Amino acid sequence: MLVSLPWAFGWFRRDAHRPPAYLNILLTLLAVVHGSLVLRDVMANGPAVIGMPWLSVGDLNLEISFGLSLTNVSALELITGLSLLSQIYSLGYLDKEWALARFFALLGFFEGAMSGVVLSDSLFQSYFLLEMLTLSTYLLVGFWYAQPLVVTAARDAFLTKRVGDVMLLMSVVALTAWSGVTSFDDLYSWSAQDTLTPLAATLLGLGLVAGPTGKCAQFPMHLWLDEAMEGPNPASILRNSVVVTCGAIVLLKVMPLLQHAPVTLVVLQVIGTISAIGGSLVSIAQVDIKRTLSYSTTAYLGLVFIAISLQVPVLALLLLYAHAVSKALLSMSVGGVIASTNCQDITELGGLGSRMPATTGAYLVGGAGLVGLLPLGGFLCLAQAVELVGARAVVFVPVFLITNALTALNLTRVFRLVFLGPSLAKTRRAAEINWQMALPMVALTVIVVLTPFLLIRLESLDGLLAFPFWAAALVVSSGAAGLLAGALVPLNKAWSRSLNPILRWFQDLLAYDFYTERFYRVTIVNVVATFSQLAGWFDRNVVDGVLHGLARFSLSSAEGLKLSISGQTQSYVLTVIGAIVLLLMSLSWVLK
Amino acid sequence: MTTTARPQATEPTLPDQEELIRRLLSDAPLLADTPDHLLQVVNVLESYGLVLDAYSCNLVYQGKTQLLNPFPVFRFFHEGFTAKRFWEHLKGDRINFEYAEYCQKAMFWHGTGGMDAYFDSETFQDVCRRVIALRSKRDPLLRLVNTLYPGFAPEAIRSMTTIYALGLFWRVMSDIFIDLARRYRIGEVACVLDVVHHIRDGLVAAAGNPITYEVMVGGESVWVLPPEAGLTFLVDVAVPYVEAVFFRGMPFLGTVSYNAQARQIAADQSLFKYGALYADPLPSMGAGIPPSLCMSDMYRNLPEELSRWYDHHGRAQADAHVQICISFQKSMFCVTNAAIAGTMPNPLDTQDPEQQAANHAYASAWSERLMGCQRGALL
Amino acid sequence: MLTLLLLIPFLGALLISVLPGLGSSDISESVGRSRTFTLAILAVQCLVSFGLLVPFSAVEPGQQLVEILPWLPQMGLEFSLGVDGLSLPLVLMNGVLCLVAAAASRSVENRPRVYFALLLVISGAVNGAFLAQNLLLFFLFYELELIPLWLLIAIWGGANRAYASTKFLIVTAVSGVLILAAFLGIALVTESVDFGIRPILTTQMGLTSQLVLMTCLLIGFGIKIPLFPFHTWLPDAHTEASTPVSVLLAGVLLKLGTYGLLRFCLGLFPEAWSVAAPWLAGWAAVSVLYGSLAAIAQSDMKRMVAYSSVGHMGYVLLAAAAATPLALIGALFQMVSHGLISAVLFLAVGIVYERTGTRDLNVLRGLLNPQRGLPLTGTLMIIGVMASAGIPGMAGFISEFLVFKGSFEMFPVATLLSMVGSGLTAVYFLLLVNRAFFGRLAVAPGANQNPKILNQVPFSHHIPALSMSLLILLLGIVPNLLVGLSQPATAQLSELATLVKPGGLS
Repeated sequence: MLVSLPWAFGWFRRDAHRPPAYLNILLTLLAVVHGSLVLRDVMANGPAVIGMPWLSVGDLNLEISFGLSLTNVSALELITGLSLLSQIYSLGYLDKEWALARFFALLGFFEGAMSGVVLSDSLFQSYFLLEMLTLSTYLLVGFWYAQPLVVTAARDAFLTKRVGDVMLLMSVVALTAWSGVTSFDDLYSWSAQDTLTPLAATLLGLGLVAGPTGKCAQFPMHLWLDEAMEGPNPASILRNSVVVTCGAIVLLKVMPLLQHAPVTLVVLQVIGTISAIGGSLVSIAQVDIKRTLSYSTTAYLGLVFIAISLQVPVLALLLLYAHAVSKALLSMSVGGVIASTNCQDITELGGLGSRMPATTGAYLVGGAGLVGLLPLGGFLCLAQAVELVGARAVVFVPVFLITNALTALNLTRVFRLVFLGPSLAKTRRAAEINWQMALPMVALTVIVVLTPFLLIRLESLDGLLAFPFWAAALVVSSGAAGLLAGALVPLNKAWSRSLNPILRWFQDLLAYDFYTERFYRVTIVNVVATFSQLAGWFDRNVVDGVLHGLARFSLSSAEGLKLSISGQTQSYVLTVIGAIVLLLMSLSWVLK
Repeated sequence: MTTTARPQATEPTLPDQEELIRRLLSDAPLLADTPDHLLQVVNVLESYGLVLDAYSCNLVYQGKTQLLNPFPVFRFFHEGFTAKRFWEHLKGDRINFEYAEYCQKAMFWHGTGGMDAYFDSETFQDVCRRVIALRSKRDPLLRLVNTLYPGFAPEAIRSMTTIYALGLFWRVMSDIFIDLARRYRIGEVACVLDVVHHIRDGLVAAAGNPITYEVMVGGESVWVLPPEAGLTFLVDVAVPYVEAVFFRGMPFLGTVSYNAQARQIAADQSLFKYGALYADPLPSMGAGIPPSLCMSDMYRNLPEELSRWYDHHGRAQADAHVQICISFQKSMFCVTNAAIAGTMPNPLDTQDPEQQAANHAYASAWSERLMGCQRGALL
Repeated sequence: MLTLLLLIPFLGALLISVLPGLGSSDISESVGRSRTFTLAILAVQCLVSFGLLVPFSAVEPGQQLVEILPWLPQMGLEFSLGVDGLSLPLVLMNGVLCLVAAAASRSVENRPRVYFALLLVISGAVNGAFLAQNLLLFFLFYELELIPLWLLIAIWGGANRAYASTKFLIVTAVSGVLILAAFLGIALVTESVDFGIRPILTTQMGLTSQLVLMTCLLIGFGIKIPLFPFHTWLPDAHTEASTPVSVLLAGVLLKLGTYGLLRFCLGLFPEAWSVAAPWLAGWAAVSVLYGSLAAIAQSDMKRMVAYSSVGHMGYVLLAAAAATPLALIGALFQMVSHGLISAVLFLAVGIVYERTGTRDLNVLRGLLNPQRGLPLTGTLMIIGVMASAGIPGMAGFISEFLVFKGSFEMFPVATLLSMVGSGLTAVYFLLLVNRAFFGRLAVAPGANQNPKILNQVPFSHHIPALSMSLLILLLGIVPNLLVGLSQPATAQLSELATLVKPGGLS
C-alpha cells in the first residue's frame, strides 16, 4: 500500500489543466497521512522490510524491496510533506500557467522517485530510482522548454547527473557481479569480508560516491543546480531541499561499503570541504536571488558529506533535516519576492520588508533555521557537529564554522538588499503574494520554528542537547560574526565591479563560480566534441574512402549500377529471380 | 494619396515609420483595411468583450468585498456560490480570472498615470489609516500584522484599488466591443476604419468618466478614491493600462530568463517590451505564457463566424488559440490606433500649421514606439 | 505452424501483385487498398506468431515445433524449421514491426502494389531466416531479404537513393558471400552436406580452420549488424530509405546479423569463439564508442539515430563475447529493445521529416510547440530517446543492465568502456531533443521568421509509435515477459561457451 502510493501520482490525465493539480495534491496529502501512520507504526514496532520479486535471470535475482526504518520513513515524511507544501505553493506561483497539468504530472513523478529512493532497500533499486529522478529533473527543469536558457539548463542538469549515474552504474554492476547480491544488508555483510584488492575497492568506492556527488550538487558536479534555477520555483524549492537530501541518503546507505576504501573517504572529505567553503564564497558573490540560495545548498551538503565521511550518520541526518526545511522555506520566500516583483536581481530590489509579512517572516525564520545562531535546527545541528566532528577530526571544525559564518553573511547581505533599504523601481509597487503561496509559507515557518522539537522526537536523542558549552559558543560566535559582517559590509546597489583590479578579479572569479563552466567547456565538452568530429571525419574520409576505393577496384563501376536504377521494375524482378536461380544452380554444382 | 491601405497584390512589406505617421495623421487605420481583417477584428473583439464583461464583474466584485481579506478563497464567485459552480470551478470549466489579475498586476507594478501618483499622496495615506483602523476593530490578525509590517495593508489597499479601477475600465471597453459587434451585424461597421472610429468615439465619450472607489469597511462607507481626487477614465486608467499591458508588459517565464547574470531583462521597466503589441503569438498555449489563459477564455466565447473562418486557416481548430492570438494582436493594434486618435492634441483636419506640427510630433512619438512592435500583424 | 509464417507473407505478396481489385487509377486509393490488404495479412501473421506462444514451452532449451520437409533429397538437404527461445522473440518482433512498418507506409508515391509485396516478402524471408534449421536455408532467406530491401531503398528512397542502395547492395552482398563461403567451408571440411546446425560438427576441425571459418562469418555478420568499420552503409541506407523501411532495417534486418552472431559464430564455433572472445569484447567497445562519438557529430536526425544503432549493436557483440547466461539473455533483450526503440525513433523522425521537410538539427527548433508544432511526436521522441539512453523503467535499461552485469565478470574494461558509450548516448540524443524540440518553433533557417504552418498530424499516424512506446514501457517494467521465454535457450548457448576465459580488453 505504502509502496504503491507514490507511484499512483503519475496516473492522471494531462488534458484539462487544473484538475490534475488538485488530484495530485490530494494524493500527496494521502501519502503524508499514510506515511505518518507508518512512521508511528515503525516507532512502535521497529523497522520492517517489504519486498517482492521482480526479475530473476540466471544468478541474478532482483527484487523490489522497501526498508521501513525510522530514517527512511522520516525522510519519506520530509519529502511528502515538503512536496505537499510546494504543490499548494505552485497553485499560487503558477496560477497563470496553462501547462499546470504537465507540471503537476512531473512533480508527482519527481516525488514518487524521491520517495522510492529513500525507502529503497537495495542498491540496484536505488540506482533505478536515482535515474528516474534524473529524468524527472530534466523534464522539470525543461518545463519552460521555449526559453533558451532553460534548454541548456535542462541539458546540463541531465548530463551532469548522468555522468554521476553512469559511474554509479559501473559500481553497481561491479558490486553485483562480485558479490552476487543487491540488497544493502547483504552487501554490508559481503563487504565486511573484505575480499577486494585495495585498488578495486577504491575505484568501486569512487563510483559509488559519484552518483550522490552529482545528485547533491557537490564540487565538481555542482553546476547543474545553479542552472536548474531556470526552472519553476516550486520545483526549485524541492530541488534545493529534498532532492539533495535523497542523494545524501543514498550516500549514507552505501557508506558501510566504503569502509575498505580509505581513499574514497578522503575524497569525500575533500569534496565536502571544497563544496562547503567554495559554495559559501560563491554564493556571496551572486546577484541572482535564487542562485544565492542554490550555492548555499551546495555548501551545506558539503558539510553533510564531511559528516558522512567521518562516520557520523546521526549528524548527517540532523543536518539534512534541518537544512531541508529551512532551505525550502527560504526558497519559498524568494519565490514570493520574484512573483511579486518580476525580478531576480537583488541589486534591483529593496524595501520589501514592511510590505510583505509572510515573505519577510519566512525569510527571517528560514535564515535563522539554517544558520547556527538562534536555538533553532541549524544551531542544534552545528553545535552537535562541532562536538562530534571535533572528536574525530579537528581540522573540519573550522570548515563548519566558516561555512556557518559565510552563510550568515550571505543571508544578511541578501536580506538587507531585498527587504531593507529604499524601494527601487521594481519594488515600488509590490503587494504581498496570493494566499495559495502565503499559506504553505506560513505553515512551513511554523514547522521551522518547531524543528528542534521534531528533531528531538525523531532522533530520540537526549543527546541532541548534550553538546558542551564551548561548542555552542563557537557556533554562536561564528554565526554572530557572519551576521555582523553581513550587516556592516557596505553594499553597493549596483553591485558594480570593484575598481581595485585584484578585488575585481576575485569578485568575478566568485560571481562566475570559479569559471567552472568555462573550464568544463574547454575541457570535457571540447574533448568529446573533438573526438566526435574526428569520428565523423574518419567515417566520411577513411572508412568510406576505403570502401569507395574497393568498390571502384572490384566492380567495374558503381556508376554502372547507378545508371541501371532508372530502368523498369520488371527488369529488377527478373534480375533478382535470375540471380537466385543462378545461385541455387551454382550451389548444387559446388556440392556435386 | 487617399488610399487607406497599401496595395496587397505584391509581396506585402512592413510599414516604415513614415508610413505609420502618415496613417495616423490621415485617419487611415494602422491595420491593413481588408475584409479578412474586419472579420477577425470585430469577432475577436466581440469574444474579448464577453470575456471582459466577466473579468470586469469579477474585479468590481473583488473590489467591493475582498479588501484586506487574508484568504480570498472564493473571490472568483461573483455570481454567487453554489455546489455546481464550485465543481465547475474545480474542473477548470470557467473563465480564467487569474488573467484579469495578471493584467492588474502589470498595471499596478508598472505604476504610471494619475492614479499611481495619487497612491503616494497624503490623502490616500489618510484613507488607508482609516480603513485599517476600521478593519482592525474586528480583525486581530490585521492589527498584529499592521503593527509588525506597517507597509502591508496600504499596499494591499493600493492593489485592490487598481483591481477595482481596472474593473471599471473594462466595463466600458466591454460595452464598446459588444456594441461594435452589434453595429457590424447591422452593417454600420463595414471596414477596419469604421472599427477604429467606433472605438475612438467610445473612448472619447467615456474619457471624462470619473473613477471613484467607495467601499464598506467595518460597517462604514469609505471613499478610497474620492470624486475629489479628480481621476478620470481615459488619462488615469486607460492610458496607464495601455502602457502597462500593450507596451511594457511583464516578461514571460516561458520565454525569457529571469537569471540576473544573464541580464536578459532590462533594469529599467520603461524599456520593457513584453506587452501585447510586441508579443509573439506562436508560443501561445505553451508553458509559461500567461496570455494563454485569455486566449482560452476567448475561445470559449468565440463567435460562430470567426470559428468558421479559422476552419479554413492555419491548422483549423487545432491551432485555434494561436489564430485567436494573431487576430487579437491585430485588434489590439486597432484599439491602440483608436486610443492614439482619441488623444490626438488637435483635430486631424486642422489647417493651423502649429496644430499640425503638434499632431505630427504626437504621431511620430507614437510611431516610434510602434516601430519595435510586431508590425507584421499590420499586414 | 511455422511453415504458415512463411506461407502467409509469401502468398500475400503473390496475391497483392496479381489481385485485380487492388489496383486503381487513383494512386492514393490504390495505396489505401494495398495497405489495408497488407495490414490484414501481417496482422494474421502477427497473430500466428503470437499463437506460437501457446504450444511453445518456455522451459525447454532446444528447438521446438520442428517441421521437416524433404527438399533436395539427393543431397540429403531438408527444409526444416524450428523455433527456440532465441528465435521466438525475434519472430514475434518481426511480426510486430512489419505490421508497424506497413501501418506507417502512407506516403507511397508510386507502384504501391510492388511496394507492399516487397514488404511482405521481407517479412516472410526474415521469418524464414530466424526459423531455418539448416545453414543453407538460412543463407537463402538471408539473401532473399536483401533484394527486396535494396529495391525498397532504390525505388522509394530519397534523393541520393541510387548511391545508398548500391552501397547497401554491394556491401551486404559481400557479407552474403562471406557467410556462404563459411557455410560451404563447414560442409567441405566436415564432409557433411546436409548443412545441419550442429556444434558437434566443428569440434572435429582444427582450431585454425575453425578460426578462419568463424572470422568469415564474423565479418559477414559484422557487416550486417553493423560493426565498426563495416558500418558506413547503414547511415546512408537509413537516410535514403523511407520511414517504414528504416523501421524494418533497424528493427529487424540488423537483428539477422546479431542472430547469426549468436547462432552460428558462437553456436557453431564455441572453441574458436573462446579464443577470440577478448578481441571481440575490445572490438565491441570500440564499436560502441565509435558509434556514439560519430552520432554526436551528426546534424541529420536520421543519421544520428542510425549511428546510435552502430553503438547499441556493439552491446550485443560485447554480451556475445562474454557469453555468460546473463549476458546472452541481455543480448537478446537488447536486440528486442533496440528494435522497438529504434522503431519509435525512426517513426518520430519520419513524422518530423514529413511535416517539416527537413531533418537538419541546425534548422529545426521548438517542435514541442503545443498548437503549431508536433507536441505528441515530441513526447514520443523523448520517450524513445530516454529509453535508448537506458533510463530505468524502459526496455533499454533492462537490456543494458543485463549486458553489462553479464559481461563485467568476463571483460571488465570493455564493459566499463561500453558504459561510457551508454553515457554518450544521452549526450547526442539530448542534443537532438533539445535542438529540435525545445526553444521557439522554427523549421527553416532564419530564426525570427514565422514558420509556414505545418500540417496537423492526425492521431492515427501516431498509433504505431505510441504502441511501440507502450511495449517499451511494458518490457521495462515487467521484463520477465521476455526473459522467461528465452532463458533456457540462452543458458544452453552459454554452456557451449563455457570455455571463454575472463580477461582484460585483449
